[in-house]
Amino acid sequence: MGAPLLEIENLRTYFYSPGKQAFVRAVDGVTLAIARGETLGVVGESGSGKSVTALSSMGLISAGPGVISGTIAFRGDEGERHLLQGLEDYVTLHERDGRIMEVSKDETGWQAHVERVMAPVRGKGIAMIFQNPRSALNPFVTVGHQITEAIRLHTPTKDPRDAKARALDWLERVKMDSPRLRFDNYPYGLSGGMCQRAMIAMALSSEPSLLIADEPTTGLDATIQSKIVGLLAELKSEYKIATMLISHDIRVISRLADNVAVMYGGTVVEYGPAPDVLAARFNPKHPYTAALLASIPSAQNVRDHGDLSAVEGEVPDAIDVPRGCRFYARCNRVTDDIRNTCARQEPELREVAPGHRVRCWLYGE
Amino acid sequence: MKLAAIRPITLALSRELVLTALLLLGVSVVVFVILYLAPGDPFSVLLEGQTPSHEARAGIREALGVPKPWYAQYLSWLGGLLRGNFGTSMRTGLPVFGELVRVGFHTLYLTLGSMLVTLLIAVPIALRSSVRGATGLNWPLTMLAYLVSALPVFWLGYVAIYISIHQFGVFPLISRVSASAGPTWLYALLPICVLGIGNGTLSEIVRYLREEMSRVMVEDYIRTARAKGASVWRHAFKEGFLIPMTEIIAAKIPFILGGAVIVEQVFNWPGMGRMAWQAAQDRDFPVIMGIAMLAAAWVRVGSLLQRVVYVAVNPRASKEGRRVGRAE
Repeated sequence: MGAPLLEIENLRTYFYSPGKQAFVRAVDGVTLAIARGETLGVVGESGSGKSVTALSSMGLISAGPGVISGTIAFRGDEGERHLLQGLEDYVTLHERDGRIMEVSKDETGWQAHVERVMAPVRGKGIAMIFQNPRSALNPFVTVGHQITEAIRLHTPTKDPRDAKARALDWLERVKMDSPRLRFDNYPYGLSGGMCQRAMIAMALSSEPSLLIADEPTTGLDATIQSKIVGLLAELKSEYKIATMLISHDIRVISRLADNVAVMYGGTVVEYGPAPDVLAARFNPKHPYTAALLASIPSAQNVRDHGDLSAVEGEVPDAIDVPRGCRFYARCNRVTDDIRNTCARQEPELREVAPGHRVRCWLYGE
Repeated sequence: MKLAAIRPITLALSRELVLTALLLLGVSVVVFVILYLAPGDPFSVLLEGQTPSHEARAGIREALGVPKPWYAQYLSWLGGLLRGNFGTSMRTGLPVFGELVRVGFHTLYLTLGSMLVTLLIAVPIALRSSVRGATGLNWPLTMLAYLVSALPVFWLGYVAIYISIHQFGVFPLISRVSASAGPTWLYALLPICVLGIGNGTLSEIVRYLREEMSRVMVEDYIRTARAKGASVWRHAFKEGFLIPMTEIIAAKIPFILGGAVIVEQVFNWPGMGRMAWQAAQDRDFPVIMGIAMLAAAWVRVGSLLQRVVYVAVNPRASKEGRRVGRAE
């Protein structure tokens, strides 16, 4: 297999909230890896840091005086790149107890550096599709032009006519109906589903090594959602492109992912092969994953008009992060033996089965 | 441009042209009535210094066709206008149309030149601060732009004349060189710069363009453009630059023309503003009417161009009136 295509290590993305004079720890020590051809599903509630992890990898975090630290290694066709390397020169962090207390940052230099590092990666190395495809496409430019732009920027096809032929080809591959007609359409004339197909065509047409799909089905009708998931599954088996699939919808993840990372409160709480992590009866697993799985309505559930179990409580405060386990306040499986440890000390990601790691004291020593 | 995109533009254009015609008609009525009701008349101005006999007065009135009621006067003026005849100046006896063309071009140079000056200053400041925020140089530059455009243009004009002519001896006054064949454009630079800085649109352009550009820069589709490695500026150009620019310029044309009246007085620039001023002094009705028409048409042309750009650029606007159902 060799080294993974994308390796994120101890990624921390903090935003500074001037109102509260404190850091919002959107991502707080995430470690992930995606091998070539693998689909990694990243699942978690809103605010768990999934999207921010993806946007950090693309250098798309624009929020003013935020900071990003850790390492992101990307090994695309053009060799290994470290996407966060050199950024530390623009920031001075004042840490205490492993927590960032104060930041001074050269915003302009930071931005310029990010643009320099990311220029050869964006589009060509890593392509991205977003949620709400209708607003993610440029409303002033035809769908066809947006795809040919990607082709002409990132592939050897430079001639406009060849690029158009390739774009039409891609529109067909993503099952766009009447591609020739849609090519000259503006996004507003297309439905959300068609816009997402166009987005996917645009992302894949530049032949990237890695595709990041950030909530690709969010904001679409339920029937269109399943069609888009079906399309992604087909494209996956056909092109074997490595994908980071971000979704709060476990059903989407379970249909597409090889490995799954469950995120909670800015960290990964469980990581392993999809069948193990998402199997309802597989034990051991993180209490949060168990609660998430229990909240999916099953056919049985619907038939019985049974109550849907929700994950109790709220997502933890990203500013005042609890000292112990982040899930402690909502956990329903905490036992008296470990209660004290849970409240005081954050558990490590511990391997409980080959390739399957869980961040929970239940599976300690 | 595709053929399908031309049709909505002609549609918008014809609508605007009809509106323009109606507006010009309205302006002409209003200006005519105001002139009719205003005290004084051209004859007392023409005969100033003389003590004309009652017969002489009546003779002139007869010759100029005055003893008709005001609506008859208006209709005969309108009839002439529709045949392309703006009448003749009461003071000089020259056809108004030729005069309008002559002074119109002078004012066109002045206003277009000053617009260019304004844009050269405002656009870089606006774009810089829209991307970088109020950091570093942007804040003082923006403040300076606000301060400078708050200066009254007549004051700015006199200060500029004083400094450049009396202190440094550069930029001779226009009236001295207008007869010579020298490079007059060089001498035009001073009034153009004064109007460009002092017409009050500088700060508005900075503010409006910065706001629009910053708004567009955080749109989802700009994030998509970044993610695919495309030029952010190219993707933001239409919504963040072209549309707001045409909007604000079209909205500011009346103010620029107003500033031009003053600058033309200050610098003795032979343009529309100075002619309007002179005509108002003389109660030279045909000239005043002609200039009012020209100025109104000018303002309309600005908003017409803005509308055309908007329709040409915005696919949603171009589909107005012929709704298409969404597929899938």
